[in-house]
Amino acid sequence: MARVTLDNVTKRYEDVVAVDDMNLEIEDGEFVCLVGPSGCGKSTTMETIAGLTKPSEGTIHIGDTDVTSLPPKDRGVAMVFQNIALFPHMDVYDNISFGLRLRKYDQEVIDRRVEQAADIVQLEGMLDRMPDEMSGGQRQRVAIARAIVREPDVFLMDEPLANLDAKLRVHMRTELQRLHKELETTIIYVTHDQAEAMTMSDRIAVINDGELQQIDPPLTCYNEPANRFVAGFIGSPSMNFVEGEVTADGLQTDNFDVEFDPTAVADVAVGDAVTMGIRPEDIHLVDRAETLSSASAVVDATTDVLEPMGSEIFVYLRLDDSSSRTMDDEVTAASNQLLMSVDPDTAIDEDEPVDVVLDRSKVHLFDVETGEAICHGLEAREASPLAETETEGQR
Amino acid sequence: MATTSESASQSTDDDLGPLERWTRGVVTDPDRRSRLYRALFYVVTVFFLVTTLFPFYWLLVLALTPNGLITGGDWSVPVPVLGEVLFPTPRGFNVAAFVEVFQQVPFHLYVFNSFVLATTTTIIVLVLASLAGYVFGRLEFPGRGVLMLAVLAISYFPPAAFLIPLFDAFLGNPITVPFLGLELFSPPRLVNTPASMIMPFSALFMPLSIFILTTFYAQIPDGLEDAARVEGTTRLGALFRVIMPLSAPGVATAAVLTFISVYNEYFFSSIMSLQNEPQQWSPLVGGILSYQTQYTTDYNLMAAASIVGVLPMLILVVVAQEKIVSGLTAGALKE
Repeated sequence: MARVTLDNVTKRYEDVVAVDDMNLEIEDGEFVCLVGPSGCGKSTTMETIAGLTKPSEGTIHIGDTDVTSLPPKDRGVAMVFQNIALFPHMDVYDNISFGLRLRKYDQEVIDRRVEQAADIVQLEGMLDRMPDEMSGGQRQRVAIARAIVREPDVFLMDEPLANLDAKLRVHMRTELQRLHKELETTIIYVTHDQAEAMTMSDRIAVINDGELQQIDPPLTCYNEPANRFVAGFIGSPSMNFVEGEVTADGLQTDNFDVEFDPTAVADVAVGDAVTMGIRPEDIHLVDRAETLSSASAVVDATTDVLEPMGSEIFVYLRLDDSSSRTMDDEVTAASNQLLMSVDPDTAIDEDEPVDVVLDRSKVHLFDVETGEAICHGLEAREASPLAETETEGQR
Repeated sequence: MATTSESASQSTDDDLGPLERWTRGVVTDPDRRSRLYRALFYVVTVFFLVTTLFPFYWLLVLALTPNGLITGGDWSVPVPVLGEVLFPTPRGFNVAAFVEVFQQVPFHLYVFNSFVLATTTTIIVLVLASLAGYVFGRLEFPGRGVLMLAVLAISYFPPAAFLIPLFDAFLGNPITVPFLGLELFSPPRLVNTPASMIMPFSALFMPLSIFILTTFYAQIPDGLEDAARVEGTTRLGALFRVIMPLSAPGVATAAVLTFISVYNEYFFSSIMSLQNEPQQWSPLVGGILSYQTQYTTDYNLMAAASIVGVLPMLILVVVAQEKIVSGLTAGALKE
């Protein structure tokens, strides 16, 4: 068990910067997810920790040891790979014991440890099978057993569940959490699936374009995203973004206004262009919003497309008369559309006018230029100035 | 023919010649077609078997026929209808030739020499070609293409081009500075030792193995090597513990080709062993030729010796074939 520290780690390939000046501190026993879109450098970051890739600059410490130039075998890490990577010419026992045999442990010790590891991942009685005789989930468990049998200081998991089917993935998720509770080892977990990251980790490190965007507990990332990228990446469906301008009365956008007191918010001046962000569940129908303490003014809208999910209904709202129905990702970013989620028992139809209100305490403001978060939650003029600006400068 | 309409061809079917009818049948009827394919397969296979096995049969005939009957022999065989046909059949059953082979000449020593030369060369080639194959197949580095091209170019050099300089170098004559006559040093005298043969053999047969292993090693997924390295091997360890076993078919192919080539080799070894004697590491072919003297040629002994020399190869191929098959199935386990 050990803490992992990355100091100014940069990895450059010929003309691409895969990891850009990464600083990470992962505590002993912590479960940290590196999450980001494909090609954002999260896997490269993990490879530098494993020692499979040497960083162009910067240092990596595991515990108190500088491991930057140590080969992978001397780092005390174990890794579970996306493609599972069991040795196909060895049976399960040989696969699990591979690392122990290389380190010349006594046969007794190897037998005992393999049995223990197989027990933890529930593989008893399968030790003499060949990898090709097992199902995807079983193979994945062998890969995990191979990792835990060496009792490493740090577990590295590179999208270990990506190749499993949806049901098995959810099952393995809980297994991994149970495993983490049992072993109390540092786990660094790479995924592009923000749901996996949200459910499993102690802290999420959101990475984009090789740069660390934010590292915080899942709910902090969700409620107080450090910038527009994190806001859009964490949460499904993603946050609505609307461009607007700050006026003396609040925020003015093309189609609606949200009133607040700009003088109460640091870093905002009248006349600033800002991006407003609000999550679908923070938009409410007027007649259901009586309990809301900080509802905004009523916004006129027309329903466009409904997506009933069972537990909720996603409603696409048209704010102006345009009838564009583009359903690509930019829908949520377009100023004339909002995505709202409502209770499944709401009576609502396509193409009918509705009045909605925004929960002002859940509105986020972002700088248009840099994307940095300005504030989370807006208060009306008469209320006390908001206090939630602490995530500023988290990076 | 192609323009003939369907109905016309139906009506005139009876007017066609037998060849034309048969051709049409093969084209339209899948059963006939598969029968034709099978027939062609057997024809080709039988042709191949006859061309490879007939020389063996001939060797056997020569070995079993006493030498006197070979030179003055009458090889005609009475065949009904055709009369007398020339075809080699054993004239006698002189199994003693297989014993005599070892009595006249220490033939087992020649076989041993070839075996040692072939085994050593194969091991050296496999180790070095594995390293080269790993580098060429799995690493990206500037100049890889040029280097591979260089290896390919060298493999096209005629071996004879190396013969004189190598012979000169292996003789152990002192190296002198030209014109001055200054003696620099004397290299070890390697002629008549296995080193003088193994070194050129390794160099000559290396490129082929490098190319075979490069293609095989390049196909092993990176994840397996990464897994092995994280588990505790070095890059080299991963090569020998994971990549090589998973490339067993390729390794076996490279090994068998190298072994057979060296086992058959006579060009270099006939010159590097100054006399045709087993003590001077003369190989198998030298042993076979030693039944030939200035005035006599014991054809039956040469034939018997050839058969004895082939036997180890036969065993090796049978064993290696099993390995190749098991290697193929292991390769099929890859995800």
